Amino acid sequence: MDLLNRIDEVRAQLQNDIQQVGADPQAAENLRIKYLGKKGLISVLFADFNSIPAEQKPQIGRVLNILKKDAEARIQALSEKLKATSSQDEFFDYSLPGLTPAVGHLHPITQTLNRVIAIFREIGFVVEFGPEVETDYNNFQALNFADDHPARDMQDTFFIDEKRLLRTHTSPIQIRTMLKKKPPIRILAPGRVYRNEAINPRSHCVFHQVEGLYVDENVTFSELKTTLEVFAWRFFGADVKTRFRPGFFPFTEPSAEMDISCFICAGKGCRLCKYTGWLEILGCGMVDPNVFKNVGIDPEKYTGYAFGMGIDRTALLKYGIGDIRLYFDGDVRFLEQF
Amino acid sequence: MIVNTNWLKKYTDYSYSAEELAERLTAIGLESNLIPDKAAGLEEVLIAEILAVNPHPNADRLTVCIVTTGEKQFAVVCGAPNVKKGLKVPLALVGSTLPNGMILKPIKIRGVASEGMLCAEDELGISEDHSGIMILDENAIVGGRLADYLASNDRSLEIDLTPNRPDCTSHIGVAREIALMTGNELYKPDINLSESESATSAYISVGIEDQIGCPRYAARLVQGVKIGPSPDWLVKALASIGQRSINNVVDAANYVLMETGHPLHTFDYANLKGQKIVVRRAKAGEKVVTLDGIERELSDDILLICDGERPVAIAGIMGLANSEIEKDTRDVLIESAYFNPRIIRRGSRYLGLQTEASYRFERGADYEGAIYALERGAELIAEVAGGRVCRGVVDEYPKPIESPKIVLRYERTNRLIGMKFEPEWVKKVLVGLGCDILNSNAQEVAVRVPSWRPDLEREIDLIEEVVRIYGMSRVPSTKTLQMIPNISTDDRYDRIEKLRSFMATCGYSELYCNSLVSARATEFGFEPVKPVKLRNPLSQDMTFLRTSLIPGMIAAIKHNFNRRRFDLRLFELGHVQAYAPEEETQARESLRLGALLTGYFDEPNWAYPRRKTNSFILKGLADTLAHEFGVCNLNYSKAENLFFKRLVKISAGKKVLGYFGELAPDYLGKDWDIEEPVFGMELDADFLLKQVNLAKIYKEPPVFPSTERDLSIVVKCEILVGDIMKKIRQNGGDLLREIRFYDLYLGKNVDKNEKSLTFNLLFQADDRTLTDAEVDQIMATIHSNLSRELNARLR
Ligand SMILES: [Zn+2]
Repeated sequence: MDLLNRIDEVRAQLQNDIQQVGADPQAAENLRIKYLGKKGLISVLFADFNSIPAEQKPQIGRVLNILKKDAEARIQALSEKLKATSSQDEFFDYSLPGLTPAVGHLHPITQTLNRVIAIFREIGFVVEFGPEVETDYNNFQALNFADDHPARDMQDTFFIDEKRLLRTHTSPIQIRTMLKKKPPIRILAPGRVYRNEAINPRSHCVFHQVEGLYVDENVTFSELKTTLEVFAWRFFGADVKTRFRPGFFPFTEPSAEMDISCFICAGKGCRLCKYTGWLEILGCGMVDPNVFKNVGIDPEKYTGYAFGMGIDRTALLKYGIGDIRLYFDGDVRFLEQF
Repeated sequence: MIVNTNWLKKYTDYSYSAEELAERLTAIGLESNLIPDKAAGLEEVLIAEILAVNPHPNADRLTVCIVTTGEKQFAVVCGAPNVKKGLKVPLALVGSTLPNGMILKPIKIRGVASEGMLCAEDELGISEDHSGIMILDENAIVGGRLADYLASNDRSLEIDLTPNRPDCTSHIGVAREIALMTGNELYKPDINLSESESATSAYISVGIEDQIGCPRYAARLVQGVKIGPSPDWLVKALASIGQRSINNVVDAANYVLMETGHPLHTFDYANLKGQKIVVRRAKAGEKVVTLDGIERELSDDILLICDGERPVAIAGIMGLANSEIEKDTRDVLIESAYFNPRIIRRGSRYLGLQTEASYRFERGADYEGAIYALERGAELIAEVAGGRVCRGVVDEYPKPIESPKIVLRYERTNRLIGMKFEPEWVKKVLVGLGCDILNSNAQEVAVRVPSWRPDLEREIDLIEEVVRIYGMSRVPSTKTLQMIPNISTDDRYDRIEKLRSFMATCGYSELYCNSLVSARATEFGFEPVKPVKLRNPLSQDMTFLRTSLIPGMIAAIKHNFNRRRFDLRLFELGHVQAYAPEEETQARESLRLGALLTGYFDEPNWAYPRRKTNSFILKGLADTLAHEFGVCNLNYSKAENLFFKRLVKISAGKKVLGYFGELAPDYLGKDWDIEEPVFGMELDADFLLKQVNLAKIYKEPPVFPSTERDLSIVVKCEILVGDIMKKIRQNGGDLLREIRFYDLYLGKNVDKNEKSLTFNLLFQADDRTLTDAEVDQIMATIHSNLSRELNARLR
């Protein structure tokens, strides 16, 4: 057998022996004899070394020497360790703190969004994206916001120029998708949105939304309700109650708001729900025929529903966060809790 | 919009409690919140009169008030500035309960015992006001309960109206909705005018120059009024919805507004010149003084009401100071008009002025209801301010507006909502809304919608009304969900999620930073770009869209430093925007991955030394990401940048993947007041995500054993380790599988201009066990190449 291979083998054997040593204080001495004694395994290798060809000697000699030094050092260390252990009466402090891995934390908005998306993906929604800088057409006109209608006041807008703005909702992704694809369409559109509103504990000018859209023949308001009820139960818990009431969005009609029974007070009334027993969770409705006309879909043949919710606010409710500005500070004492 | 429960009962009967009414209105789309009952929880608070205000012996800011409840006197220590002898104030005695549930305990304040507390409004839960003690009316009964003083049996609701419902900006409008729910009748007050001999038309004529802006203008004169305070019922009615009383004429017009939803304007007729009203557009730059005393410059979008000589009101928004009702006004001209919603809205936005009138006109007032409101106004003014109502109205209405005719198909309604509605019930709802049924059969019904519902224009609007009144919560949910057999995929989301989770797994916590930044922050970057600027920023420091993630992330580092957290591993995955140099108009959005490190990488622990962070941790992260996301052939090269002390550019082929390095202490110091080293990296995440192949193919691990060799060499300092590794790789052939650099040594036994390096090389063949001779042969080739080309010496 080749000498180098034998060296490797002895190294492996030593490694193995050291790992198997128990608390016997004699063990180190036994190993010393086994490997470094006169007839020890390493001594035998040195004896055989003398008989190899001269040109191989520098290289193999170096490897053999490393093995010997390594063996001496490790057996010495073992011996010291065993002595120390025996003197401490084998004291093992199991209470020493564990050595924790360096863990990173995903932002609560990411985690909330992922949860929402996971639920809707299970029922066949596909994620679509769109740009944050949008055209006035995609953000407003195509969504049936008339130029001078007070509905525009609901969404104070940051403008870049005459035609472009920062999207005020993720709804333009509806328009982009319907212009690109024919029904059936079943999408979920998450993203960052902007409103020109003063920053305070309850609202920020930058926030995140997720929007859903389903267009096909025979999509009904009744099915919209089921879809959102499933979501509410899965996300907030099976014991929450839902309530639908009329709302107003220019791009859906009929429009509705879905509330869930307050999960803090179970509907009895508390500060979180402003003593109404209900929490406003999302807006929804049937796609307005004008929106269909704007994207070239026949509103007599197809019907559809859309819904949208603020992720920041939902996370606020879900985690009991009191101030929306915490999302943007990057305080690790905040992030580490999620 | 605030409505009062008793006021509503003038127009329809209902037996709902205030709570129930709020709930029911909310369910049909008028989101209502009860305004808290002021008297609740105040049963134990008494009304007291202050007999004397004595100084506190030990504190300048406190007083000791002697108060009486009629039977008994009490000494109360008080800190409020507004206590005065003779005032009537709320008194909570020791032992009584306040609305917040607090029970007042015996207390000594700076050495003086207080037998109770004089209360401010916030302590009573009435308002947020804590500026002083609540002062009660002179006629408050000393010794009585505050609850009785404040009590009233009516409640008020605040309705958060959606912009499509101008019809509900009034008590009659809300009562109509209640009547729809109860099935009871809606009654509008009958009008009984006793007109005088003189005709309104003898005193005023109306000319509409802009018929688009003003389709209808009606007016009526009331002569000989006496301006004075309003009667008690009127003051109370307005107070119940949070409105202050001004004088009898103004209050009457206001009352009609809150009753009918139609804004009236009242002019002092004596101040109208030339006996005429002209409605015209303003000239751009024209200046007027509105009745709030502010001079305003107008645009030509704004509609003006003028007399024979000059403007007297900004139509639909606010009157002017020159013609408002004064104490000595005798004759009042009442205006009731219909203005174009768009023009009022444009004007109100231009002026930055929203009023009760503009709020209604811009949503669409009732063009037919204008006359009813005018008659009602005249009747009420005559009732509360005296005077004679002139005969007839002047009504300029050149082209009467016709409300739309709409056909509602039952089948369409049922198909959209997913349930079956009874045609008879649907018709009843439409009639209740005020629609006239033109004709109807088994399939459909045709109606003329009422003039007060400008939001009803199409079939879908009527379908919404049907489901709204039926109750959305009552619509049954389907038992099943339809699914689309979908073959389109959404990989991008999966990839983004993979990237995020990977960063967290590597120990980095995720930031969300503001994408709106200052001009200074847009200077930061690696290549010159033109930032995207907002036309109407919220503030100076949020004027641009970010061009790099790093400045926002440094702000987060600073935030944490201020909270004494110095060891940070942070990342953000977010969009940046910029105009590409070649295209001025199209901003380009790109997804970036930013990572920042500072302080120690490891947590403090008892077992190992902690590692200080450095740039090479980021380089290792880049390598690992590239590997994980399938980017091949990474190249690193030195780069220069003002914001970095040491900067390295990462490329993959011709494409720049990103940069990493140590941020310049100068920049950190000046911009952020940070002294500690911070290391940063920013990568093009779009590029990274495009490469990902989520489908992996398994490869058998090698069967034959590998052989390791160490290689220790000494070279000149300026030779790059990366170059040496490249050379080793080039000369190592296929059998060299891995090179690990694990020792860098400078100092003793090594020349000053040299460094000693140790590499560990791993050799392996897929088809056999390598012999020593083979490996020796390769090592010899590597040695000779290194010594020839880099002057390396073996150690
Ligand atoms: Zn609650």
